[in-house]
Amino acid sequence: MSVLDIPRLLAANITVGVHPEGKVFGFSMDLDTLWATGAAMLVVMGLGLFLRARATSDVPGKLQIIWEALVDAVTNQVEGSIGPRGAAIVPLAISLFLLILVANSFEVFGLGSKYEFLPAPTGDINLPLGLALFVILLVHIASVRARGIRGYIAHYFFHPFPKLLFPINLFINVVEELVRPVTLALRLFGNLLSGGLMLALIAALAAWKLSGIPIGDVAVIILDPVWKIFDVLLIGPIQAFIFALLTIVYFDIAMQEEH
Amino acid sequence: MLLASSNFLVPNATIIVEVIAFLIVLGFVWKVVLPPLNRMAEERRQKIADALEAADRARAEADETRSERARILDEARQQARQIVAQANRTAEEAKAEALGATEIEQARLVSAAEAEIAMAKRRALDELSAQVASLVISVARQVVGREIDAEAHRSLIDEALSALRQGAETGVAGERAQKV
Repeated sequence: MSVLDIPRLLAANITVGVHPEGKVFGFSMDLDTLWATGAAMLVVMGLGLFLRARATSDVPGKLQIIWEALVDAVTNQVEGSIGPRGAAIVPLAISLFLLILVANSFEVFGLGSKYEFLPAPTGDINLPLGLALFVILLVHIASVRARGIRGYIAHYFFHPFPKLLFPINLFINVVEELVRPVTLALRLFGNLLSGGLMLALIAALAAWKLSGIPIGDVAVIILDPVWKIFDVLLIGPIQAFIFALLTIVYFDIAMQEEH
Repeated sequence: MLLASSNFLVPNATIIVEVIAFLIVLGFVWKVVLPPLNRMAEERRQKIADALEAADRARAEADETRSERARILDEARQQARQIVAQANRTAEEAKAEALGATEIEQARLVSAAEAEIAMAKRRALDELSAQVASLVISVARQVVGREIDAEAHRSLIDEALSALRQGAETGVAGERAQKV
């Protein structure tokens, strides 16, 4: 096999977004995603229980310091943009951040195979889209509560252009509201899917031999950890952060008095 | 095969379970994890505020004690100065008093000695005059050759004696005047 064979080799072996499906209560579900989501939940909740048990008002441990820094950062973000009305958004943003962060970090167990034994559940459209739809639903509820039902509806017609141009306003706003959950979900999903795809591509290099020398194996040994470090330490936290931050931003926009 | 099961961008029923899973995590973080940890953070904030306040108070107390100590020291120094001045004054007075007493005593001694001297002189004169009287009588007797009746010539003798005494006293007075 020569260098020229690589494209054919990769195209032949790589599958994207394939999950082992099974019937649960008559619905077809992605079994690996369910199981990985459960694992992520256990990690987050176990971390929470551990923190709770070790919590002290004296000198805090490192984990407690990190936790308090996280809570502080989220609280400052929320209070700075929304104010005290947004207090309930703090636990939402923290939960989103932690669950997505843990889910993203499962990428470290990735083998680059068709089915992973512990895939990142955020790499399945169901988790990012579920979270995004849930968040946007809450945003709309918050918007109605902040502006009243009249203000909420009026917002679609009279913003951002003058009243006369209400058809254009309506079109822009509806598109914006429809796009929001999709972009929120796809940003996360795309990053994690491509993370898995990268692992699959790197794994596929293993078959690459030059004149009998297994260059591919060396490439895999070097590239796999390099990519995982980048993916799990940088992309994963950044995507979790962006998801939580955008949640706060959407609430902020929805709860503003003007518009 | 349906599109839904082949396209990775189309969700299936898993999405419902995922949302429920997130709701569980959200509820857990909100109700179980956050309250005790927030309480601890708040307690720590309170503790630190209390400790800082206590430190401020202690510092203020220390300042007060320091100024109090300086004040007391100052007072003590002033008192010491007063006591030393008082002692000096007392010593001066005692010295002056002692000097005065010595002078008085000296004067008393001098005057006593002078009085004694004068008395001794007078006694000596008296004795002398008595002896002179009897001497005069005996001399006169021998001169006259007969007994002189002491009683009969009393006035004569007295006259002679007083003349003698007068002469002696003027001599003494002259002596004293010379001394002074």
